[in-house]
Amino acid sequence: MGELLRVDDLKTYFFTEAGVVKAVDGISFTVNEGEPLGLVGESGSGKTVTVLAAMGIVAKPGKIVGGKIFFKGEELQASSEKEMRKIRGKRIGYVSQDPNSSLDPLYTVGNQLVEVVKTHFEESKDQAWERGVKLLQLVGISEPEARMKAYPYELSGGMRQRVAIARALAGEPELLVADEPTTNLDVTIQAQVLDLLRTLGKELRMSLILITHDMGLIAEMTERVVVLYAGKVAEEAATPEVFRSPKHPYTAALLASVPRLDQKAALVPIGGGIPNLITPPSGCRFNPRCAYSKGICVDAIPPLEVSGERRLVACHRWKELDLRRKA
Amino acid sequence: MAWRRFRRNKSALIGGVIVSFFVFMSVYGIFFAPLPPRSFYCLYNGCANLPPFTNWAHPLGTEPSGIDVFSEILHGALGDLYVGVVATAISVAIGLLVGAFAGYRSGSAGAILLGITQVFFVLPVLIIILLFARIGQLLVAHGLGLTLIVVILGIFGWPTIAFVARGEIMRVKELEFVEAAKSLGASNNRILFRHILLNILSPIIVLSSLLVAGNILTEVVISFLGFGDPSTSTWGLLLQEGFSYVRTSWWVSLFPGIAVVIAVLGFNLLGDGLADALNPRIRE
Repeated sequence: MGELLRVDDLKTYFFTEAGVVKAVDGISFTVNEGEPLGLVGESGSGKTVTVLAAMGIVAKPGKIVGGKIFFKGEELQASSEKEMRKIRGKRIGYVSQDPNSSLDPLYTVGNQLVEVVKTHFEESKDQAWERGVKLLQLVGISEPEARMKAYPYELSGGMRQRVAIARALAGEPELLVADEPTTNLDVTIQAQVLDLLRTLGKELRMSLILITHDMGLIAEMTERVVVLYAGKVAEEAATPEVFRSPKHPYTAALLASVPRLDQKAALVPIGGGIPNLITPPSGCRFNPRCAYSKGICVDAIPPLEVSGERRLVACHRWKELDLRRKA
Repeated sequence: MAWRRFRRNKSALIGGVIVSFFVFMSVYGIFFAPLPPRSFYCLYNGCANLPPFTNWAHPLGTEPSGIDVFSEILHGALGDLYVGVVATAISVAIGLLVGAFAGYRSGSAGAILLGITQVFFVLPVLIIILLFARIGQLLVAHGLGLTLIVVILGIFGWPTIAFVARGEIMRVKELEFVEAAKSLGASNNRILFRHILLNILSPIIVLSSLLVAGNILTEVVISFLGFGDPSTSTWGLLLQEGFSYVRTSWWVSLFPGIAVVIAVLGFNLLGDGLADALNPRIRE
């Protein structure tokens, strides 16, 4: 399994009137070919900004201030609009949160698919249309020819999300980024969309980055997971490892706040909220909310250390803590 | 679908009919008018200062100076349509350009453009328009006539359009389909023209329709105050002439006045109707 996308010490700051918001402050991770990776963290932990920065589309007042992005070992100039545009859609497909607003209300489904196909392939309108029909088939939409002529408002939420996925696949990308793809869908549709993403990943041998705050989705969908907290990586590991024995107190706290079928224990919420990223807490950014915080946690920023095979954790006390969940 | 909603809206339909009639009249009116524009024929043929409905060759009467009111209303329609539509087109072009730039680039250039737009809002526009009209007539534009008024109205009419366009663009550019288009490799120009501008078009169309009405009214005011072009037929000019005969020949000012009211009402109704018909939030 080769390396597909590597993000190295990425920093993206938002220059607001109130001060500089360090939304992404030195995040590194790697996505391998064909591997589903999860990015997990609370709202505001920098999940979305990280991937948008990796595609070079951070909106003002945001700016990429540091870090490197490699695609298949080749460094991308995030500052060069022209170079980044070749990546977008063609090599990285992006599915956003809200299928209700991610499709332009004024164009038919076919129009929107054809637009993306024609951006990336030298094809006639008829060929592009044919390709659009096949894409709709691929994402499991019935009567694709008829649906090509439908406007977004004529489709249900689940269908719209399928169309959005089809559109993200139109450039035949090697990596699909799904940003909370099921947040705005109801539960039965959620399962269908997740199923679709999983089979697509296997059939097209495509890598997947799944952005979510739902540990359940991570367990179901991903092989590796990167836990983000306040713009930094807290922990990175293979998904089963994280569930078996989290090394970072934040990961453990996230897990403790998810209901389990096999236990009757009450859920433990994480006290407090995500810190202000203009003036983040000194030392470890999690220390004000951490049950295991000590003097050193306030004094020094914990480095990201290797804690096992392909396993990283950023906590001063990972060696002494046993955060394994009781079976 | 928008058309179906438009048709069901009665006032919009009435507006549409009035506007169509107005356009028809201004284009084909010349074939129905008994006399050519600004013709003093009656002064020399004994039909001057006729009251309305007395002589069917001159159904709405004639001025004491011999001008036929019915003919002038028909010919004036063209002048007023020209003023309303062309001045609005100029305003929309400038307004969209300024608004798009100010909305799409939120930096200091945008702020400066917004500032200029707001300055236009507090200016006593009518007085400045009159000033420019007079200066223009004196200095350069003896032959330009009505076109001068059109250009001036166009130049002073854009701020509302710019303001609305800017606000709408700022709303639309944050919507996810813009981000989606970007993430799928669309270029900036493509996003601006294909996705953003088309999505803000309906309020602009509505505003334009109202602006046409506004421009017709302003032209009437300018002409009425004697700053207009005395050689081209417009309703404002007729009203102004009628004003001097109002004690003796009331019909000279009454009929063009009614024409103005109906035309302005038509454009306003049409604008309101379009606002409802094009509103994407009222989907059936």
